Amino acid sequence: MEDPDNRDVREDLHALRPDAFYSRVHSFQHWFDSVQGYLDELEQGHRADIVPEELPENRRERLITVLCNYSVGETAALEASSGLVRIAPNRPVKIFLATQVVDEARHTEVFIQRLQELGVADPEAAIEARASAAVREFKRRLLELVDGADWDAAILAQNVILEAMELSVFEAHAAVADPVTVDVLSRVLKDERRHIGFGENELGRRLKRDAVLRQRLSRLKRELDHLVLQTVQDTLEALGLSRDERPDIGRNYLAAVERLGLQA
Amino acid sequence: MNDPLEERQREMGSRRRYDLSDDTGFNEVPRRYRKFYRVWRGTGDCLAPNEALCPVCKVVIRSKHELRPGDRIYCMACMTRLEVQRGEGGLLVANPIY
Repeated sequence: MEDPDNRDVREDLHALRPDAFYSRVHSFQHWFDSVQGYLDELEQGHRADIVPEELPENRRERLITVLCNYSVGETAALEASSGLVRIAPNRPVKIFLATQVVDEARHTEVFIQRLQELGVADPEAAIEARASAAVREFKRRLLELVDGADWDAAILAQNVILEAMELSVFEAHAAVADPVTVDVLSRVLKDERRHIGFGENELGRRLKRDAVLRQRLSRLKRELDHLVLQTVQDTLEALGLSRDERPDIGRNYLAAVERLGLQA
Repeated sequence: MNDPLEERQREMGSRRRYDLSDDTGFNEVPRRYRKFYRVWRGTGDCLAPNEALCPVCKVVIRSKHELRPGDRIYCMACMTRLEVQRGEGGLLVANPIY
């Protein structure tokens, strides 16, 4: 007998029952079918036929520093999301987080590969020497929340705060980057949409009915805000964007926390 | 007494319908769902009566019929369930349902 949900989805996706929708989008099969659209036939995380732009030395140096910051952020998300699999509240969420672990591992890998393409012989040493103190501190704090099995706080820090920051910074960077870096960033951005959406939906449901949790997460948000702002500032400075040229980078983040009802 | 299901069907039947068979180039969801989405081109991108912007991930969601306040739609790119509402200036906006 034909599954009515499958018939509906062909006719009108928006007519699907909510439980059927969430069951579908949190599956590994959905992840696999989604990423095939934009990760097929790549080399080093970008299309092989893009002619690399010859970067002047100061621009190359700046890009290396920015990629070092990205590598710390992605490694933080890789380590945190893998730790969160164990404390996730149910099996579909564990499976979704497993797909996020794969995404974060790929992001870490493609940023390291980009560093190598730019002539960095020892990416790990470059990251150690160049990554901003603020992003390292954010990573330390995030992993502390995961180690303490604080599910709600860790999801806020990782899937709302870190992902919103990355989404905004990657979009701003993609607007001024060389063609190879643009291609790498545009594919990473597509993954980030799933991560931020998951975080907002997961927390939104809980925050709506729990005023105590809202207060606790508002405090955490205030604690992490300065690290977020400092990381964004360090990255934009490394990109060489003047204050006037910088887009309203905090807009996505502020809109997300406002939707969740978290206090400034 | 009127049957709510019949009422709903009558109301849907009165709306303008849209053909979603065109390729929008959107490639972030499985192939069979791509027609329901397109990339947002930023400020100045006009939304059609069957379209709404996802406020979470900034992807344009497309429907097979004209959208009206109260409609429930899905953003598959960020896995969010949304409700269409009347916003400032009479514009239709989509808000997440948690």
